Amino acid sequence: MCASVKYNIRGPALIPRMKIKHRIYYITLFSIVLLGLIATGVFQFWPHSIESSNDWSVEKRSVRDVPVVRLPADSPIPERGDLSCRMHTCFDVYRCGFNPKNKIKVFIYSLKKYVDDSGVPVSNTISREYNELLTAISDSDYYTDDITRACLFVPSIDVLNQNTLRIKETAQALAQLSRWDRGTNHLLFNMLPGGPPDYNTALDVPRDRALLAGGGFSTWTYRQGYDVSIPVYSPLSAEVDLPEKGPGPRRYFLLSSQMALHPEYREELGALQAKHGESVLVLDKCTNLSEDVLSVRKRCHEHQVFDYPQVLQEATFCVVLRGARLGQAVLSDVLRAGCVPVVIADSYILPFSEVLDWKRASVVVPEEKMADVYSILQSIPQRQIEEMQRQARWFWEAYFQSIKAIALATLQIINDRIYPYAAISYEEWNDPPTVKWGSVSNPLFLPLIPPQSQGFTAIVLTYDRVESLFRVITEVSKVPSLSKLLVVWNNQNKSPPEESLWPKIRVPLKVVRTAENKLSNRFFPYDEIETEAVLAIDDDIIMLTSDELQFGYEVWREFPDRLVGYPGRLHLWDHEMSKWKYESEWTNEVSMVLTGAAFYHKYFNYLYTYKMPGDIKNWVDAHMNCEDIAMNFLVANVTGKAVIKVTPRKKFKCPECTAIDGLSLDQTHMVERSECINKFASVFGTMPLKVVEHRADPVLYKDDFPEKLKSFPNIGSL
Amino acid sequence: MQSWRRKSLWLALLASWLLGLLGILPLLRLVVPTGPRAGAPQGWPRWLDAELLQSFLQPGELPEDAPQLRRAPRGGSCDWGACFDTSKCRSGGFKVFVYPAAELISEMQHKILASIEGSRYHTVSPTEACLHLLSLDAPAGACSLVPPKWNGGKNHLVLRLHPASCSATFQLGQAMVAEASPTVDTFRPGFDVALPLLPEAHPVRGGAPGQLRQHSPHPGAALLALAEERGWRVAGTDSSACPWDGHCEQDHGPEQTHPGAALPNATFCLIPGRHADALRFLQALQAGCIPVLLSPRWELPFSEVIDWTKAAIVADERLPLQVLAALQEMPPTRVLALRQQTQFLWDTYFSSVEKVIRTTLEIIQDRILGASAHPSLLWNNPPGALLALPTFSTSPLDFPFYYLQQGSRPAGRFSALIWVGATGQPPLKLIQAVAGSQHCAQILVLWSNDKPPPPSWPETAVPLLVIEGHRKVSDRFLPHSAISTDAILSLDAHSSLSTPEVDFAFVVWQSFPERMVGFLTWSHFWDEAQGRWGYTAERVNEFSMVLTSAAFYHRYYHTLFTHSLPKALRRLAEAAPPCVDVLMNFLVAAATKLPPIKVPSGRQHEDASSPRVPGDLEPAAQDCIDRVAAEFGHMPLVSSRLRLDPVLFKDPVSVLRKKYRGLEKP
Repeated sequence: MCASVKYNIRGPALIPRMKIKHRIYYITLFSIVLLGLIATGVFQFWPHSIESSNDWSVEKRSVRDVPVVRLPADSPIPERGDLSCRMHTCFDVYRCGFNPKNKIKVFIYSLKKYVDDSGVPVSNTISREYNELLTAISDSDYYTDDITRACLFVPSIDVLNQNTLRIKETAQALAQLSRWDRGTNHLLFNMLPGGPPDYNTALDVPRDRALLAGGGFSTWTYRQGYDVSIPVYSPLSAEVDLPEKGPGPRRYFLLSSQMALHPEYREELGALQAKHGESVLVLDKCTNLSEDVLSVRKRCHEHQVFDYPQVLQEATFCVVLRGARLGQAVLSDVLRAGCVPVVIADSYILPFSEVLDWKRASVVVPEEKMADVYSILQSIPQRQIEEMQRQARWFWEAYFQSIKAIALATLQIINDRIYPYAAISYEEWNDPPTVKWGSVSNPLFLPLIPPQSQGFTAIVLTYDRVESLFRVITEVSKVPSLSKLLVVWNNQNKSPPEESLWPKIRVPLKVVRTAENKLSNRFFPYDEIETEAVLAIDDDIIMLTSDELQFGYEVWREFPDRLVGYPGRLHLWDHEMSKWKYESEWTNEVSMVLTGAAFYHKYFNYLYTYKMPGDIKNWVDAHMNCEDIAMNFLVANVTGKAVIKVTPRKKFKCPECTAIDGLSLDQTHMVERSECINKFASVFGTMPLKVVEHRADPVLYKDDFPEKLKSFPNIGSL
Repeated sequence: MQSWRRKSLWLALLASWLLGLLGILPLLRLVVPTGPRAGAPQGWPRWLDAELLQSFLQPGELPEDAPQLRRAPRGGSCDWGACFDTSKCRSGGFKVFVYPAAELISEMQHKILASIEGSRYHTVSPTEACLHLLSLDAPAGACSLVPPKWNGGKNHLVLRLHPASCSATFQLGQAMVAEASPTVDTFRPGFDVALPLLPEAHPVRGGAPGQLRQHSPHPGAALLALAEERGWRVAGTDSSACPWDGHCEQDHGPEQTHPGAALPNATFCLIPGRHADALRFLQALQAGCIPVLLSPRWELPFSEVIDWTKAAIVADERLPLQVLAALQEMPPTRVLALRQQTQFLWDTYFSSVEKVIRTTLEIIQDRILGASAHPSLLWNNPPGALLALPTFSTSPLDFPFYYLQQGSRPAGRFSALIWVGATGQPPLKLIQAVAGSQHCAQILVLWSNDKPPPPSWPETAVPLLVIEGHRKVSDRFLPHSAISTDAILSLDAHSSLSTPEVDFAFVVWQSFPERMVGFLTWSHFWDEAQGRWGYTAERVNEFSMVLTSAAFYHRYYHTLFTHSLPKALRRLAEAAPPCVDVLMNFLVAAATKLPPIKVPSGRQHEDASSPRVPGDLEPAAQDCIDRVAAEFGHMPLVSSRLRLDPVLFKDPVSVLRKKYRGLEKP
């Protein structure tokens, strides 16, 4: 079809060149084709619309029409929850063996309406939130409709609020699920556990081994590493539009907005207000509101009326006190307002505490210390408060703001337990996006000076300059710490010289032949590299002395996470052109070293070959230039550190060095190199290179000291 | 033309064929009933009346649920809020009292007591203490004694390094338990403390450093080592799934089994979840072998603060093949990170009894501090929470160690702190040289002399402040509140520096904010003949210390010096003034594990004769390094063989091109 359309487009251009009768002939032919195409199109889509509308009517049923299941009064009831359950005792991990890509598969039971013997419903069929929750799971990567391959089962029996269900009958309904098996691998979501008068902190429905994602666990009911503590969803999250308010000082220092508080707590809050005056605001239910005002959205202090949750944005700290239950929906509203929650609820397990670092977003105060709350909060420095406000808002955005966010975070936590080697890190859970973006985590962070005995592997990239290559090999082999020499033979048309012709050196010499003449072959992580230190050296770098190379290796040992090289280069911002410029003059600064002679950690070979951002690697191979600049970008980007240039400036035989000698100014070369910098900076999305004003010399370099007593006397000779 | 026609005819034919095909297919689909479309996921239905569903919150229920009063902790169950009284700790600071040992004292108990008594938290008065420590490693019989200030166990920490020792006979009451490898079921998170299971021979101080010598695994190293009853069995990289079943033993000769305490040499160490294998966990950490714990029944040590997901893998013992496949396929980046973290954790929290005890106390202090405790970042990144004091700041940006993680860099100003000691002469020339630096923010003169400071000081471009000291050498390292910048240039009255030297050194410091950047150096050495450490000021090819008479460093090290050094060490510094330099260098090296940085100095010769450099060292000074090393328990100093010079330093190029030409005066 595509081809014919193309032909149609080209058609008119050809027509004037044809004879009249042909023209008519063709016009007729094309109109037939065109008509046919239109007809096909209509035909194609018309039956589809019937089909999909059919589907639509099948899927879009009413909740009232779901099948009814009658539970006999004597049907089995599961055991009560087993408090000693852990993943390795109560969870059947074999069921997760099928799941590819380290992702658990979740099955959802279809919706039924459960009634008891006399036909009275066991509970409301399903709540809006639970429907949303199941929809979110169903739309996610976790979902499977194949019950035999599922690792986790989610019943459609809604137990979000214990008050709306009959405990015994709900338990019976759970027990008759087709894969119940003592609740193994079943996940229940509950936000409001317990009921009057004693309000248990976990769902009272007997559930045997089922996992519970509960809002309001206490340390006594929470099975660490098995249950998941979730937030109590606040319906205001969806109902009210509350734009983000930046951190900073706010009108009230401490605010309490909860309506139903125990008189004793209210008394203590009142005492706080009396003591600290204006900066503390204790709100309560409004008593004299007219009928039409939504009481949930208003709070009062004496005769002043405040809008809720907007008033939360006026406070730096907001009290979240326990009510009958430990989990309070107000926590969600408070976080959203960027108000730092002051959680006063002993033994409460904060939502997602398994992965979220609540110290960064909240202050937990023991109930006994409630009277001291003001002074405790005052001791927190302003900068930390602002950090906490930002963090609170981020927690809400990521894990509280919708039922979907809550459901997915819960599944991720369970997923991480089952596939710990693919788990999400602390930073990924807790760092707000702005922090993640700016921070650098050095892959070689451990301060470690590798032993000198390890030595280094020299890698010489060569094409066909055999004579010069042999000289380089002979020179490099004089370096005491050399442990192996690898020649990367990049010429496919010519074989390397016979073995007998190579210089005889004291260390193993290996020749690797490449399949294609690519610059990136220089940075391939060859199996032959056994040392951590790699010396990349061009086949024409014959001017470096043994002392200089050995000293370079010593410097690398002190900076194993950096590029340590000899000729240094600089990038500059060209204000006139508004772009980066490459500089090879005698400058006082360095930001790159050429990899024609440089030491670095072999891990960077792996990064260059497999983790180079964007198309840089192919681009370099295609242009046959700038592999060294790309390596400088890569290393600076992952480590956040500058290169180390070693030893004084020398005359190097390389295209741009002739420029300094004033013999010929290779202008195009400089333009190309500048282009590389601009290209890489745009791919990396930033300029990672760091400019420094120092280079490394031996301790006694150029000091007034007997040369023969210096460790590296032969340095800087031209 | 002919060919044209033919071509178009063919095309027309082709098009009509296409037409036909496209037309017939949907027709066929209409005829053949599709039924439920197989393969397509069905998913949760979109209910017609989804909009009409009720919320799970019944109107009026929330937030108005029935109020309830706090409940008293149930019998025997305790948590931090209910069973610990922090009021004592707030007023008097965190003070720890240890019950004196009973007559039957075990080796380990002795070590524990020694390390607490040496710590800065220790107090001899039980009434002043906020935490009472009771060591329960005594042999059975000595347990039943209830200590005098027991008070129902409130604010008590019961130390149990061996799980078996007299547990049942003792009523714990409200006491916290710090136990080695506690069972997951009885462990109370946030109240108890999980300790590592230590071998009897664990050193009190210092301790063996980690075994890791290189960041990435050697390509020839084995992938797996398996913890066995008597040692480690190393599995070759090629043997795939066998380490679980016993059948592989034939494949590997007996030489593969390392008996006893030998450390495993492999990338991953498989450790079964039994209690007995907890000891293997520490061995793996020390060896830099990534621990793979198979459903451990015990709580990982210090799990309250240490993020073990960064250093170990807790896997399910029932899925051995999946675990193995995951280990084999683990990306090098992750392996690299895990390996390094094992070493960092070993060296920071586990290598000696003293570190284990200090970590335990630090955890409890963090609970008391609440919001001003160590953030998680400080616990889990070098140099670790024992060397990053939360009393200094809770913001990682204030420390010299975390600039990169925070995507930030040190500010561009420094404060010069000039110590005027016995000479009593105002260092006018020095003040002018330092004030000339574009980076200088302020000059503080620390007047530590019997004579009163002169009333008038030279006019400088930057503020100059005179602080009166107490005439103690360690005064210079007090965290003076007047210091307003992160960088400090520490100077002696007799130091002589030029403005370009100061400028260049400061720019270098900005690249290495966690290290000391100095001009004059000493180097330490092991004196084979006398069997002790010595140091020399002679110029040699390497160095390991820089003199604080002219050095840049971060102001955090003042806090560390003043608040973290044991009293014995500070007394030592008072006794022999050159010792403060040694001490400061030890402290920074212990925190960074890296050498200091030397920058060129134009005045090597005159300084060599200055009184604070031990040219012909008096015995007390020469003795100092050996005593400091003994107090530290190990030698933290690291040698460097390089000096950082300006890029064009002494290059054969016009001096006009050079930014720091002042450094090259002969």
